[in-house]
Amino acid sequence: MGAEFDVYVRRNTWLYVLDPRVKLALVVEAIFFTFLWPSAWAALAVAAACLLLLWLAQVPAGRIAAFLRGIVPLLVMVLVLTALFAGGPGPVLVSIGPLHVTTAGVMQGVLLAARLLAMGLAFFFWLSTTDQAAMVRGFVALRMPYTWGLTLALALRYLPILAGLFEQVREAQQARGLDLGQGQFAQRLAAYRPVLIALLISALRNSERLGWALEARALGAHGVRRSVYRPLRLRHVDLWALALLGVLLMAGLALRVF
Amino acid sequence: MTFPVQSAILIRDLHYAYPPPLHGSAPVSVLRGVNLTIGRGEFVAVLGRVGAGKSTLCMALNGLAPHATGGIFRGDVTILGRNTKQHAIADLASSVGLVFQDPEMQLTQMRVEDEIAFGPENLAVPSEEIEARVTWALDAVGLASYRDRSPLLLSGGEKQRVAIAAMLAMRPQVLALDEPTANLDPAGKAAVFNLLARLARERQITIVLATQELERVARYVRRVVVLHEGVIALDDTPAAVFAQAPLLREWGIGVPQLAELAGLLAQQTDGSYHFLRMGEAYAQLRTEQRAMTGSRETAGGRPVSSPDNQLLAPRPPKSTSPAQLALEQVSFNYPDGTPALRDVSLAVAAGEFVALLGANGSGKTTLAKHLNGLLKPTHGCVRVNGRDTRSARVAELARQVGYVFQNPDHQIFAATVEDEIAFGPRLQSLSPADVTECVDWALALFSLGAYRELPPALLGWGQRRQVAMAAVLATRPQVLVLDEPTGGLDARSRDDLMATVTAFNRSGGTVILITHNMRLVAEYASRAVVMSGGRVAFDGAPRDLFERRDILARAKLAVPSVVRLGQRLALFGLEAGVLSCAEFAAAWQRLMVGRESGLLRTNAASAGAVSETPATLGPRGSTDGR
Repeated sequence: MGAEFDVYVRRNTWLYVLDPRVKLALVVEAIFFTFLWPSAWAALAVAAACLLLLWLAQVPAGRIAAFLRGIVPLLVMVLVLTALFAGGPGPVLVSIGPLHVTTAGVMQGVLLAARLLAMGLAFFFWLSTTDQAAMVRGFVALRMPYTWGLTLALALRYLPILAGLFEQVREAQQARGLDLGQGQFAQRLAAYRPVLIALLISALRNSERLGWALEARALGAHGVRRSVYRPLRLRHVDLWALALLGVLLMAGLALRVF
Repeated sequence: MTFPVQSAILIRDLHYAYPPPLHGSAPVSVLRGVNLTIGRGEFVAVLGRVGAGKSTLCMALNGLAPHATGGIFRGDVTILGRNTKQHAIADLASSVGLVFQDPEMQLTQMRVEDEIAFGPENLAVPSEEIEARVTWALDAVGLASYRDRSPLLLSGGEKQRVAIAAMLAMRPQVLALDEPTANLDPAGKAAVFNLLARLARERQITIVLATQELERVARYVRRVVVLHEGVIALDDTPAAVFAQAPLLREWGIGVPQLAELAGLLAQQTDGSYHFLRMGEAYAQLRTEQRAMTGSRETAGGRPVSSPDNQLLAPRPPKSTSPAQLALEQVSFNYPDGTPALRDVSLAVAAGEFVALLGANGSGKTTLAKHLNGLLKPTHGCVRVNGRDTRSARVAELARQVGYVFQNPDHQIFAATVEDEIAFGPRLQSLSPADVTECVDWALALFSLGAYRELPPALLGWGQRRQVAMAAVLATRPQVLVLDEPTGGLDARSRDDLMATVTAFNRSGGTVILITHNMRLVAEYASRAVVMSGGRVAFDGAPRDLFERRDILARAKLAVPSVVRLGQRLALFGLEAGVLSCAEFAAAWQRLMVGRESGLLRTNAASAGAVSETPATLGPRGSTDGR
């Protein structure tokens, strides 16, 4: 069972040790910039900046390539659908029945795809450089209730376990003669019934045990305000990074307004 | 035996019944008047059959029963002066740590150090002290260098040690563990037992361990409590408890193998045999043997192995019949390219009983999953009754190869036990009458008739396991693959299960048994296949395997106690190659009879030789305790 749901790659660069809140601010600012100008170039510039950050953070090129391969079909779909259906003024490039592909439609498609790429890369940067514990700590430090943060952490923690459980249950039922690969879609869906029921029973059983385990670890002790193992404190490097983000934001706004 | 007065745990007249599983049914009574006092720093093992209430007793120690489980709770459990009825579970957590069987379901964080810190955080321990506790707890379990690792990627034994460290960081004085080693390989089990013994000895932590690991209990634990029919039936040192072998066998709990041997020898020879550990057994038997033979050590320290004293045991059938299962130069790589099997060739004839052995990650389960087509080889070919599995669907192969997985909950889904067992036969498109016949046969096989209409998911763990196995056997396969079927089972359940498997084998069925339990290998298998690094490292008779120390060490396998004792005594005349207690006892008796008659002949020929060694000719057992 791998941890394939965890995008995080451990590295020891300064971008990794930045406070998760600062990195979250960076993501928010990157998204803000993609929408500040209605231009695909601006979005592509943000995407390029994110790629630069990923390179600086020493995220393996293979991971970045895998992410890009994953997102390209989505980008193409957005581009094609927007070009086909957005319509808009301007010369018609192609007509397919009632659909007219115009220059404005294509430009709109390019803009949306570029924004999607930029946002995707910004989040990918955040997920690749922030481990899940730091993420939750960041959210809790931003006043999210601890139980929400813990729920998120547990969900992330148990996704691979649940995926492994699904695989084991599927194999166990197949080994009893259950045929999952035959027939129409509806038949195949019906064939999954024993797998899904066994998975549900196992998951419920597990969740009961998990609840017990959490209680045995003093979660929810009466009248106790829980402490934090490594409380987040903004260090100099974080403050500098925040200041840099602030300056960039001001500069961007000034450029846009004047 | 007297136990420390300063008590950490005080249980008085504890009665507990679980809420009724079905509407209208009666509560399930588990504990019926438990009284127990355990002192600080004691290491106590709780033994009992599956379903005897061991887990419930552990859960009563930290208040999970009844606070989380509900049910009817009477009596008192007092931990370090605090009555569990009057304190919430989370409030008791700083006094009692509870470690469960499944490490996956108790580790909640993405990093080992965060995992350890989680408990102290919940107790509002200041940050600086948490840091110190994390370091201390990881050091205590021997995982100081693991701080930054993901708990997901650790081995089973390491995960359990992390779970124990997570409890230790809350600085409890009592640690209760519910079958923490049931799913571990021998190396993981040894690591956990070593750790627990050290915690009790060096840190004065009171340890209560519910377990079925009788061999290790005999070796590590100083006090044994036996839970039978809801009460503490025995409470004494391991030696005293396991001396009650007939009683423990009658209760279905069993005894360690050497204690069983001592009982058997006593029964067969009318002598007095008391040993539990290897050193004691060797010393007593060697002393006795010396007493019989005097100074005439005929074997000269070499194993005696002549045609008339070689044990007659089933040899692996080197049959010329065509292989039922054939792996031809099979290699298998996982999707990420990691090789799991490398060039494995193996032929299994119908009716063989093959034990598939090896350390965790050696490729045993991967190999077994090739036998019913769940995995298809990356290179090479697997044939089941001559058919290439690459061109067959799993559903088709399932009619010939039944596969019983380790965890019964992975297959249980039906509303009744009957439907669960009928699932496989129905998929084979049998007529309703034939399906009913299969179900009736399988229910009878495991005495599950009384549960026919009950939902299998609500049965106890031991019964769920039986249902899972009955469901596979009901499909009447030709080959039965069992993946670690006896982990966490008590002696009776294990013997019953193995009796069923043996009956299947005797009726012509082929058995592939994946196991870490070398006693099963010695007593049941006709052939052992050892996997190491994805290759077959050994393929032959178990008896020959036990002589191959290099293979055993590489695959992290341990020889059963009786086999090892036999090997040591073979140097002094015992027949070589004993595999079970019965074989040992028979060989011992022959050795003694042989020596007696030899001695008589010598006496008749030369009375002077005897007079030189008068001290060695006393009655058997006269030198006990030397």
